[in-house]
Amino acid sequence: MSKRILIVDDEPRYLRLLEANLRTEGYEVATAQDGVQAMDTFSSQPIDLILLDIMMPRMDGFSTCQRIREYSNVPIIMLTAKGEEQDRVRGLDLGADDYLVKPFSATELLARVRAVLRRSQIPEETGQARFFTHDDLKIDFARAEVWRGEQAISLSATEYRLLLQFAHNVGNILSSEDLLTGVWGPEYKTEKEILWVSIARLRQKLEEDPHSPKHIVTRSGLGYLMPPVES
Amino acid sequence: MPDLQLDQKTLTFVQTLVQAASMSDDWKVALDKFLIALRAEFVFDNVAIYLVDPSVLNLEIVHARAVGRGKAAEADAAWGESLANLVLARESVIVQDPSKEANDRMSQAYLLGLPLYSGSRVIGVMVFVRFGGPAYENAHVSLATVAEGWVSAILNRKAHKEIREQLAALQQKVQLQDDFVATMSHELRTPLGFIKGYSTTLLRSDTIWDNEDRKEFLTIIDEETDRLAQLIDNILESAKLQSQSVQLNMQPIRLDAIIRDAVIRVRTRHSSLDVELQLEPVPPIQGDNVRITQVLDNLFSNAAKYAAGSKVTVGVKRENNSLLITFSDQGPGIPKAYLPYVFERFYRVPGDRSSTGSGLGLYICNQIITAHRGKIWVESELDKGTTFYIQLPI
Repeated sequence: MSKRILIVDDEPRYLRLLEANLRTEGYEVATAQDGVQAMDTFSSQPIDLILLDIMMPRMDGFSTCQRIREYSNVPIIMLTAKGEEQDRVRGLDLGADDYLVKPFSATELLARVRAVLRRSQIPEETGQARFFTHDDLKIDFARAEVWRGEQAISLSATEYRLLLQFAHNVGNILSSEDLLTGVWGPEYKTEKEILWVSIARLRQKLEEDPHSPKHIVTRSGLGYLMPPVES
Repeated sequence: MPDLQLDQKTLTFVQTLVQAASMSDDWKVALDKFLIALRAEFVFDNVAIYLVDPSVLNLEIVHARAVGRGKAAEADAAWGESLANLVLARESVIVQDPSKEANDRMSQAYLLGLPLYSGSRVIGVMVFVRFGGPAYENAHVSLATVAEGWVSAILNRKAHKEIREQLAALQQKVQLQDDFVATMSHELRTPLGFIKGYSTTLLRSDTIWDNEDRKEFLTIIDEETDRLAQLIDNILESAKLQSQSVQLNMQPIRLDAIIRDAVIRVRTRHSSLDVELQLEPVPPIQGDNVRITQVLDNLFSNAAKYAAGSKVTVGVKRENNSLLITFSDQGPGIPKAYLPYVFERFYRVPGDRSSTGSGLGLYICNQIITAHRGKIWVESELDKGTTFYIQLPI
């Protein structure tokens, strides 16, 4: 079944540009001109990915992203007109999966969309064990569910993939490059901001105290690791 | 002069002084009230206050007040000036009696000069004068010293207020420039984004676009290139007008003809714009054809942008020795609070970030009309519309 992508931008020429290119790749496309319309569209039909502009009337991209994240882990790519770091980080902080800085080329757009959709697939586990535990943390590989104690935790596909990297390498330090390549793909190798924000978000969800984490620990200058559980 | 003692009368007097000094935010009013209150116990005919002008280190008179004899001398504070300079040079209190007996009582000036301070720095001098005596004595000097403290405080308050105002003005200027950079980066990136996006779309090697799509994409690239070029022109133009290096090419022009031409031009870009003309026969005036046209184009493009769908009425008529152009739309109007700023460079009315605009158009209009020794202003009512007025001398 073809993926359905929701494009949100107040400039009709951007909507046309994105729609024309995405359709050539076989995606279905829905459009909205502001955040309010986007929320309506998103709640009335299945959407696999959202391309979300920031500067829009009525409800801007940041608020829209925040609202959607209150109940959905749908992959979101922010379209930012400013290449400024603070905008990108803010989008990622609010739960966006990726961003695309205007001006962008058609091929760059399609590559990002492919990469984010690929990440959003829950990986099929071919491993032996169904469950993984790390202290109070439990992963059910078959159902792609994560629990902290008795509490189910809602992770985005990207966050889940990131967690799997650690779960499969307990006790090994993973460098930023390892993680970016493994989860996002080789073209993201240098995008450390995305990793920092994603690790922070994952810790928010997994850790009892995100400021002194015990599941995902930083090793300064080397990377991150999930330490072996002391028995 | 009786000795000063802390009796009820003294306390009441001090209280009156304190109240007078802190009564008004306006330093001149506070100073005046204070000096009048002071005169109840401290007799003087005139008082003059000088401040050091920091740029030239000269004394400048900022306040002179005649309350007793010699009111005529109010405007002319020359009687205090030489003593004031002496006080400034010595940084001390000086009592000066008239050097010789003069026939005219008015020329027997008994002077008392005191330095005014901000911290330990002398910021000015206060000089009291009594014409024809009696001479100032120690008790007077003591009281005047107290008065000096209050006057210094009032003047320091004034200086602080001025600095605060300068700071606020500077902050606003910096803010406008920051906003401008942010707006410009958005405004420049928008057409660039389309040019980049649509050209790379056409360049994709994995897709073949049909003729219709190709034409559509190329048209967008073409139009966005024009938009970018116009934006850059506007930025350069406003920089030029800012440095006042624009020369007007003055010649006799007919405003009615220029307005008609502008309407024809605007219809090619905004075919749906409804324009009504109310042109009375008017004499030609001296003006720069190209510049006046630019002003009208700007107003039309604003109307099409901010009052889309509304009717635009443009009129011209003679009023005494000038011509008045009125340019009205029936759009949403501009909130009153923002009206005073619309002609400022980089200013954009908050809340319409979605429309394109650089905050330069009306600034450019204002500069051009001012260069013609004319006036441009605006009136607006919410939900009723906006009217721009342009007055040009005949």
